[in-house]
Amino acid sequence: MSSPATQFSEREFVICQIARLVEDKFIYWVGGGGEPLSGVLLAKRTTAPNLQYLTEDGVVGPEALVPFDPLMTMISSRANYRALQWGTMNYAAELAHLGYVDYGILNTLQVDRYGNINSTVVGKYEGGEGRRFGGPGGADSIAALAWRTVLVTDQQKRKFVDRVDFISSPGFLDGPGAREKHGLPPGTGPWRVYTPWAVYGYAEDCQLMLQAVAPYVTVEQVLGEMSFKPKIAPRVEVLEVPTDEELLVLRTQIDVAGQVTDRGRWVELKDGKYRFAET
Amino acid sequence: MRILEEGKADFLKVDSDGYRAYVRDNKPHQMVSKLMTEKEAVERFVHDGDYLAYDCNYFQRGPASLIREVIRQRKKNLWLCGKFTYVACALLVEAGCADRIDIGFVGFGPWISRAVREKKAAIYEYSNAVITLRLKAGAMGLPFLPARSFGGTEGFERSGCKVVEDPYTHKPVLVVPALNPDAALIHVHQADEYGNARVFGTGIAHQECALASKRVIVSAEEIVSTDELRRDPARTSIPHFAVDAVVHAPFGAYPGTVQGYYASDPAGVVEAMGAMYRGDFRDYLAKHVYAVASHEEYLEKVVGTKKLVEIRRRESIREGYDS
Repeated sequence: MSSPATQFSEREFVICQIARLVEDKFIYWVGGGGEPLSGVLLAKRTTAPNLQYLTEDGVVGPEALVPFDPLMTMISSRANYRALQWGTMNYAAELAHLGYVDYGILNTLQVDRYGNINSTVVGKYEGGEGRRFGGPGGADSIAALAWRTVLVTDQQKRKFVDRVDFISSPGFLDGPGAREKHGLPPGTGPWRVYTPWAVYGYAEDCQLMLQAVAPYVTVEQVLGEMSFKPKIAPRVEVLEVPTDEELLVLRTQIDVAGQVTDRGRWVELKDGKYRFAET
Repeated sequence: MRILEEGKADFLKVDSDGYRAYVRDNKPHQMVSKLMTEKEAVERFVHDGDYLAYDCNYFQRGPASLIREVIRQRKKNLWLCGKFTYVACALLVEAGCADRIDIGFVGFGPWISRAVREKKAAIYEYSNAVITLRLKAGAMGLPFLPARSFGGTEGFERSGCKVVEDPYTHKPVLVVPALNPDAALIHVHQADEYGNARVFGTGIAHQECALASKRVIVSAEEIVSTDELRRDPARTSIPHFAVDAVVHAPFGAYPGTVQGYYASDPAGVVEAMGAMYRGDFRDYLAKHVYAVASHEEYLEKVVGTKKLVEIRRRESIREGYDS
């Protein structure tokens, strides 16, 4: 059952990477829905049955019943099912202030060299010229207060930019020491960025560093889908593909309606190599 | 306290002493019945030009029926508390009721850039938890509270927050201005006729919102007796003296969910979201707001019994929500 899968989508691939990051011994604050929650729920049903997560509405350690109705990722009986505790938004922020949140995992619209997060506007902010999005929501609390922040985004030039159009939630701002100068707690900050093609970390100088790529793309392809050249680890690892067991759980228990995974390209093993399926 | 950095945006004036005096002079200290229709409640307690907060939002145990009534009464120049919200801000701006928004998270779409471009609405930037902390300061009777987030962002520059030198540790710390809204709309599971109210399950900031706001309208799925509330006082979320009006609004969060009572109506949710993404609420407002005179008529003529039975049936989880 746990043999490497031969067919999967790149979206399923990134969810499985997130699931493998997640461990029983930590507390996670998970952005509502999408790949972050799917990855956490996958881990909870495979390798980390006792992991606890919070969402913005102050739910502690739920055993969510998926799938959810559209948008009902919080303040709904299914999302908050069998929790250890029910709270409110200030309670979630207080737990994060206290240092209980080991990892925050969230989606982002744009990320830059220093891991800054934009979820406010693409283009120019002033005068309503750019394309406006929802704002930081809960991401500001996660990015400022979780010990380690994990971002999930698509591997696209418009997502990886040298400087985000608007800093909605803080990464390393403009480099070492900047967070503390603006009142954020020490020892916190960006840690990883996951895409369907790659995983990034950060170098000592707080700059984004490519660490690993999926077996169906090259480093050059990944760099070709970024607007700036990141640092590159001395040895770029090749990520392991999902297992049949992970995909079975993901497809039959977590994203049964394809709300999260029904996007992105299909990957298959052909002639001993993983590659994008021809469409 | 030394100020290190300051946001440059307008924010609702902080006046903790004024709010205390307001509470003394205007809040209903005595237990009196406040049951009334949504029409009377909104006429009396939401005024043109108000800073209006609502909790949670149109889709999740939100005061959807009260928001529709605010639009029906064509309130003007409201300043909205846009935390954790999908369509409510869009509806109120597009209907011509609101022209300022404090944003933590709002459902986006063409409406918002257009409102800014055409100067129909001014936007001030926060995050969800910074706004709920502002409400908490307001609910504690304090002028501000510190937080360890939001500093260093570009939202900060367009907010009413400041970074100051903490007088104890001498490190930089963000402070948020207290928020005491003029009016608040809160939808709850149960309330008695005096406004003692119960919220079951998680929430955003219903208690903070109720205690921080000058005029508070509570809509409730069920009106219960005060004796019922006295049986389990730990479950009272909001005390009567914070509340000015109680409206009986079964299915008041429709098309949204009320945990343990009914599920959302996905078709109704998608219809509202679709209008927002298209940037055109005219049909939505005509059908769901202006075509009826009350929430009762809305349920009867627009939503229909069949749908209500269905969303009640689909909400099968009861643990934690039973009284």
